[in-house]
Amino acid sequence: MNYVATIGNREVKITVEEVGVARYMVRGDEKEYLVDAHQVQGSVWSILYGTNSFEVDVQRKGDDYEVLIGGDCHKFTLMNEQLKALSRAGGKAAAGKALVISPMPGKVVKLLVNEGEEVQSDQGVIVVEAMKMENELKSAVAGKVKEIFVKEGEIVESGTKLLLVE
Amino acid sequence: MFKKILIANRGEIAVRVERACQEMGIRTVAVYSEADRHALHVRCADEAYLIGPPPATESYLVIDKIIDAAKRSGAEAIHPGYGFLAENPLFADRCEREKIKLIGPSAHSMRTMGSKTLARKTVQAAGVPVVPGTIEPIVTEEEVLRISKQIGFPVMLKATAGGGGKGLRLVKAEEDLRSSLRMAKSEAKSAFSDDSVYIEKYIENPRHVEIQILGDRHGNYVHLCERECSIQRRHQKVIEESPSVIVTPEIRAAMGKVAIEAARAVRYEGAGTCEFLMDRDRNYFFLEMNTRLQVEHPVTEMVTGVDIVKEQIRIAAGEKLSLRQEEVKQTGHAIECRVYAEDPDNNFMPCPGLITSLRTPGGPGVRDDSGVFEGFEIPIYYDPIISKLVVWGKDRQEAVARMKRALHEYVVTGVKTSIPFHIRVMNNRHFLDGNFDTNFIENVFFREERERELPHFEVAVIAAAIQLFLDERKRAISQRGPGTGEPVSMWKYAGRPGMPKIL
Repeated sequence: MNYVATIGNREVKITVEEVGVARYMVRGDEKEYLVDAHQVQGSVWSILYGTNSFEVDVQRKGDDYEVLIGGDCHKFTLMNEQLKALSRAGGKAAAGKALVISPMPGKVVKLLVNEGEEVQSDQGVIVVEAMKMENELKSAVAGKVKEIFVKEGEIVESGTKLLLVE
Repeated sequence: MFKKILIANRGEIAVRVERACQEMGIRTVAVYSEADRHALHVRCADEAYLIGPPPATESYLVIDKIIDAAKRSGAEAIHPGYGFLAENPLFADRCEREKIKLIGPSAHSMRTMGSKTLARKTVQAAGVPVVPGTIEPIVTEEEVLRISKQIGFPVMLKATAGGGGKGLRLVKAEEDLRSSLRMAKSEAKSAFSDDSVYIEKYIENPRHVEIQILGDRHGNYVHLCERECSIQRRHQKVIEESPSVIVTPEIRAAMGKVAIEAARAVRYEGAGTCEFLMDRDRNYFFLEMNTRLQVEHPVTEMVTGVDIVKEQIRIAAGEKLSLRQEEVKQTGHAIECRVYAEDPDNNFMPCPGLITSLRTPGGPGVRDDSGVFEGFEIPIYYDPIISKLVVWGKDRQEAVARMKRALHEYVVTGVKTSIPFHIRVMNNRHFLDGNFDTNFIENVFFREERERELPHFEVAVIAAAIQLFLDERKRAISQRGPGTGEPVSMWKYAGRPGMPKIL
């Protein structure tokens, strides 16, 4: 199967082929890797390649990956090649529009803006408290507050839409 | 000696206190909120009492409920841990009235040291050096502005009742004062139900060095040397060690002496800590006294061999200190890393949730003071601390190497943790050289990290690609329904319209 990894602004084509029980031939960047891979504990993989042993924690949110090896966090996107081609053809740029999403479960302590209000990019718009720390979340874009989805005092989950700036 | 002790806390510190009690043959009583029915401190205790809904203000912070549980259980003493009611003089007063021994200092000591302004006055009179700033708490915004200008920016705004980095704001310039004051007051209000603040001159690039002391009611005091706590993020300690690389035997003796004078000034009983800021020329200024057990007490235990919690309990029972100053020996080197449920790659955002799997480190010289287990859901209501990983080595070099090794062994899945961050710090050359101050993480560490090459990027991508490959196949099989035999090659789906989507 063919995949495309996007690391910063570099794209790498990768193919994965199963060649035995938990053994894979992975090709990418003009190199070949014969890998023995077992998912051993939660999101953690034990990867043997060559004579090297790695513990690798693979965390995925949609196409975005955060992969921990030792203390290092590797961030990149990974997509099936065909799906990537499809999404390119169909995707429209949503410039100037940004949802503010709660990055953690917590409580909305304070709304710093009202609907219809103009905001600057990087302006604090809402304060969410989790574990006794208050975190001011900022708008990624400049524009008008189109809609506010939550009320002060409301408990929100990680990923809850808080407000929309357009 | 007490027969039964109630622990008015939760998480790792409640478990730590229970361990001391169990080793002393004392029965333990846990209290827990509705969010903590499964918590480790409840499972490890001999008895447990439900004290209310999840928010701490309706459970762990309600004095009536704690006292009621103590009475019902027949506990003779209460250990408050750290945080919650640990430095609340009203709680100390109440325990005194109810004839329940609070394992900690008197309400008088707490009140004096707990009001940071009164503490300054008191220790100054005892000959302890202090940081320039206000003595009285400040009420109006105008006053804050006027005094800040007077002592000169940068200044620190501090909650009078504060601790643990809450209600604390650095203000670099006049224009930031208003919003910082609002945040400091609001945090202080929710954490301590008291929004008064005071101002201190901000000493640039200081190190944070603190002295652990013990005192008994018979007037005996010892200090258990220093802890270096300069590795902080958001003004909260995350890595501590003992000894400090910059403290010489002479400075240690001098700081120990003034810390004991500060304690004596309030007739301090129990374990306490005097925190100092140390500037580049190794001048030290009293910052505050924490009238409780510190989070980082294990590093002192590792280098001195003194079990501080057991000492607290013996002192509370009226016994004399078990050791004299000349018997205190600092041996080898200890380091603690606080493992929090937070994302170090996303501005240390808290990350509560379910611990889906856990592997804790072991081997020589490793201690893990944990409050969790595999399958535990970290609640959103409290501090996100998972555990404190502590190591001992014969010298700093061995301790750092051991910590690095232990961190690599530590696996937590389901929630993000600060473990990767700690590994990076253990690899940082300034940390290895002992060359850092309280601004190290913000000013030096992150800048260097951004420029660092990651040596195993290809392994990361390979592992992710294999996982995606297997995810896609699993999904394809489940969409074909059960019992359809061999997994189908994904190539069959490629480019054919009308076939089920595979992502």
